[in-house]
Amino acid sequence: MEPILNKDEYTFYLIGNVDDFTERLGRVVRLGKEEIAVFKTTDEQIYALENKSPGPRGGTIAEGIISGEVLFDPICDWKISLKDGQVLDPDTGQVRTYPVHVHGNEVRVGLVKNEGGRFHE
Amino acid sequence: MVKVQERRHLVLIGNGMAGINTVEQILKLAPSTYRITVFGSEPYPNYNRIQLSYVLEKSKAVEDIILNDWNWYLENEIELYTGTTVTHIDTEQKIVKADNGIEVPYDALIIATGSNPFLLPVPGADKEGIVGFRDIADCQNMLHAADQYKKAAVIGGGLLGLEAAKGLLKLGMDVTVVHLFEEIMERQLDHTASLMLQAELESQGLKFATGKQTEEFLGDERVSGIRFSDGTTLDAEFVVMAVGIRPNILLAKESGIAVNRGILVDDYMRTSAPDVYAVGECNEHRGTTYGLVAPLFEQGAVLAKYLCGVETKPYEGSVVSTQLKISGVDVFSAGEFMDAEGLSVVRMHDDWLRIYKKVLLRGGRIVGGVLIGDGKESSRLQQWIRTGTVMTEAIHNAIVGQSAVETGNTAAELADEEIVCGCNGVTKKHIVDAINEKGLTTVEEIKVATSASRSCGGCRPVVEQILQYVLGDKYDSAAAKQEAICSCTTLSRDEVVTAIKEKGLITSKEVRYALEWDNPEGCSKCRPALNYYLGMIWPAEHVDEKDSRFVNERMHANIQKDGTFGVVPRMYGGVTTPDDLRLIADIAVKYNVKLVKVTGGQRLDLLGVKKEDLPKIWKDLGMPSGYAYAKALRTVKTCVGSQFCRFGTKDSMGMGILLEKKFERLDMPAKFKLAVNGCPRNCAESSTKDIGIVGNEGAWEIYVGGNGGIKARLAELLCKVRTDEELLEIVSAFMQYYRETGKYLERTSDWIERMGLESVTEAIVNDLDNRRALAERMEVALAQVKEPWSEILNNSNLRERMFEEISVSTKQD
Ligand SMILES: Cc1cc2nc3c(=O)[nH]c(=O)nc-3n(C[C@H](O)[C@H](O)[C@H](O)COP(=O)(O)OP(=O)(O)OC[C@H]3O[C@@H](n4cnc5c(N)ncnc54)[C@H](O)[C@@H]3O)c2cc1C
Ligand code: SF4
Repeated sequence: MEPILNKDEYTFYLIGNVDDFTERLGRVVRLGKEEIAVFKTTDEQIYALENKSPGPRGGTIAEGIISGEVLFDPICDWKISLKDGQVLDPDTGQVRTYPVHVHGNEVRVGLVKNEGGRFHE
Repeated sequence: MVKVQERRHLVLIGNGMAGINTVEQILKLAPSTYRITVFGSEPYPNYNRIQLSYVLEKSKAVEDIILNDWNWYLENEIELYTGTTVTHIDTEQKIVKADNGIEVPYDALIIATGSNPFLLPVPGADKEGIVGFRDIADCQNMLHAADQYKKAAVIGGGLLGLEAAKGLLKLGMDVTVVHLFEEIMERQLDHTASLMLQAELESQGLKFATGKQTEEFLGDERVSGIRFSDGTTLDAEFVVMAVGIRPNILLAKESGIAVNRGILVDDYMRTSAPDVYAVGECNEHRGTTYGLVAPLFEQGAVLAKYLCGVETKPYEGSVVSTQLKISGVDVFSAGEFMDAEGLSVVRMHDDWLRIYKKVLLRGGRIVGGVLIGDGKESSRLQQWIRTGTVMTEAIHNAIVGQSAVETGNTAAELADEEIVCGCNGVTKKHIVDAINEKGLTTVEEIKVATSASRSCGGCRPVVEQILQYVLGDKYDSAAAKQEAICSCTTLSRDEVVTAIKEKGLITSKEVRYALEWDNPEGCSKCRPALNYYLGMIWPAEHVDEKDSRFVNERMHANIQKDGTFGVVPRMYGGVTTPDDLRLIADIAVKYNVKLVKVTGGQRLDLLGVKKEDLPKIWKDLGMPSGYAYAKALRTVKTCVGSQFCRFGTKDSMGMGILLEKKFERLDMPAKFKLAVNGCPRNCAESSTKDIGIVGNEGAWEIYVGGNGGIKARLAELLCKVRTDEELLEIVSAFMQYYRETGKYLERTSDWIERMGLESVTEAIVNDLDNRRALAERMEVALAQVKEPWSEILNNSNLRERMFEEISVSTKQD
């Protein structure tokens, strides 16, 4: 699949069609070295988050329960906002998010440009 | 710094309720003040004597009534001599001597030797088959006798006698209560109340011989009957004497300590000998000896403070109240209960409802009362009596009126040291501290943290009032009564289930909409719960909502902390074949699993399987996965049983496989485990299972409500059945009853405690129509159960979306 360049500092990669994702069920996407959990909400919004639980026990988040724009972490049941990856009260933490562009039926996820898909911490 | 050798040496004689309670309080107040040694005649650690009545009626085992186990003594560095009786106290040298030759010096000595049952000094009283009711040994004697004999007599129609009689009745004996006076419990009840109680007990099957003075026990070696002073006789193969207790003062008396009826003590429990104290039933304080725990805990509190140098008010005596622990009979009595001059009486007597309530006033203040048939007000009445509350219209209404009128919160008036829970000796302060320190908000939490209201439950209303008093505005009485199923709604489980049925709601979306959920898509608590309730209520109509399932149930595999999964191939009854084993081994190699583990449920767990490999593993295995992760029947553990075992009387493997095949995959409120044993040796450990089945010669025993998990609980005997058909029907009815009434995620161990074993027994053992109806509804539910693997294997779209990853390269092609 072909990367398309964006004006911003992201490179967007086509990861599939809207129909490849099921409402309220996460799916794992490997994009280069990134492991990303992609979610589709009831109103067909698509979100991409790093597939890593923010909780102390580690684990993945793609298997969580989705309610509106909130994800319930399957390992520690923390609430995570799909929009910005913020862990909601009463817990704290943050999950990395990736920008998502949907054009027609195509879904693209952005990685920071020029970094070959790898983030600098 | 205090060195260990420098600690003062405290010796306690009597490992019973009063003595150990005092030690507990000392450990709390000043843990390093004393080095402690305890002597006890009985071969057990400290146990709850009050609950012997439950051991007798077999609703509890001896282990259940242990208050402090062996570990507790170790942890607190207490030297314990069980099965050791102290025979002499040298009050000059300050040394105690025991029957096994041990001599121990003391700096301080507590005597807490309790009392002995009083045995009537009539001819024949030493015959075999005549026992008292005081300790575990007596209790075991009675259990043993009930196995061998049919006709029992209990002499003494007081509290203890009636509990013994009811226990023996429950064990299947024909029991007559013999009482010297015309009226039973004459020391606690007035004429009317006594007659009502007797009538109630007669309707439950007890017989009474009142106004009878025992003159002689008949029989040769063993008792065969009783002759009374009026010349009449009563046949009895077994006799329990419960005519009273005598403070156990022999040791003190022979050691030169001043005694009267009991060991004489002052307001700080000091005896006539220096540094020697006495607490509990063995002492006599201001002319009174006590035979109940509440006063002796109050004594213990004063003594503990005194010994730790903490300032304390003197002990000035207790107002005692009594409550009968016999199930199905509410009897309460406290303070002054007989009509007498100078007392005014508030009375309510309803023959039809069989309720009798009486409250006595002196100068307008409440000084005593009796409640029969409706004990709801008992703990408040007890408080009103203790505090000498002035009678008001509100209180009057609460006692005799129909409507419950707000009578205010009396928790504020309780003294810190006041015992709230008599069964477990929990003071108000203990509860208040637990609420504050641990942030408790419900009575259930208090129960777990402090044990208050854990035993007879009589003090629950007071505990609730204390909670209300401590939390103030933060106390939410509605929430405390019926917990909402999650924070998206204020409705409780029962309210939601009723609404689903009444309004015919079919999907969880409809439920959330119709019942005005705050959060339109629900949360991780209510979504799986609603999905379960809907499936249980509408087995045929409900479409399972995958997105409301926890990952384990959605993927039919157990997610591990590294995001891989565990697969447990089904081995019905824990039985497999060499071919299946080989297949499992081959597949473990093929898919490079990280570990193969034998689970606690006798299955093999393949750990470290990648999500996308799951469908392939199922396909290659060709056997279902074991549901070792679902809110459903997990495994049926079995022993070898009659097929191979030389002890086995029943085919436990056959029955286990049958049960597992019948009930597999059906959704339950929580995980559910079974075990089947071929004989009472119980090699498959039924006592910690939701249903544990034990084969016996000619019968199956069914145990329920066991749990080996977070809150361990031993299963209780539900019933015995003779045939396999009956076994299947009862297991089926039990599971369906739990499915219909359980809260989501509520294990049977909690469910049984909430519902009460008796009501469950009534619903599925005694009520045959109901049992059959439940079993029929179970069949309907089972008919809908689908095998989930083939669905996933056959539906490539579903398989891809649920299990397969999308992989995208970031290098430009
Ligand atoms: C079946 C039953 C039901 C009851 N129900 C209730 C109830 O519902 N409510 C209530 O308030 N009370 C009830 N009671 C009474 C309550 O159990 C007692 O009041 C309480 O246990 C007394 O405590 P204690 O420490 O004084 O004596 P105990 O608990 O009897 O302890 C005394 C211990 O000292 C040991 N001992 C005696 N002499 C020696 C010695 N020389 N050396 C070493 N050890 C010695 C004894 O073996 C005994 O274990 C009931 C009692 C029984 C038997
Ligand atoms: S429970 Fe009884 S029948 Fe089963 S294996 Fe053990 S000894 Fe044998």
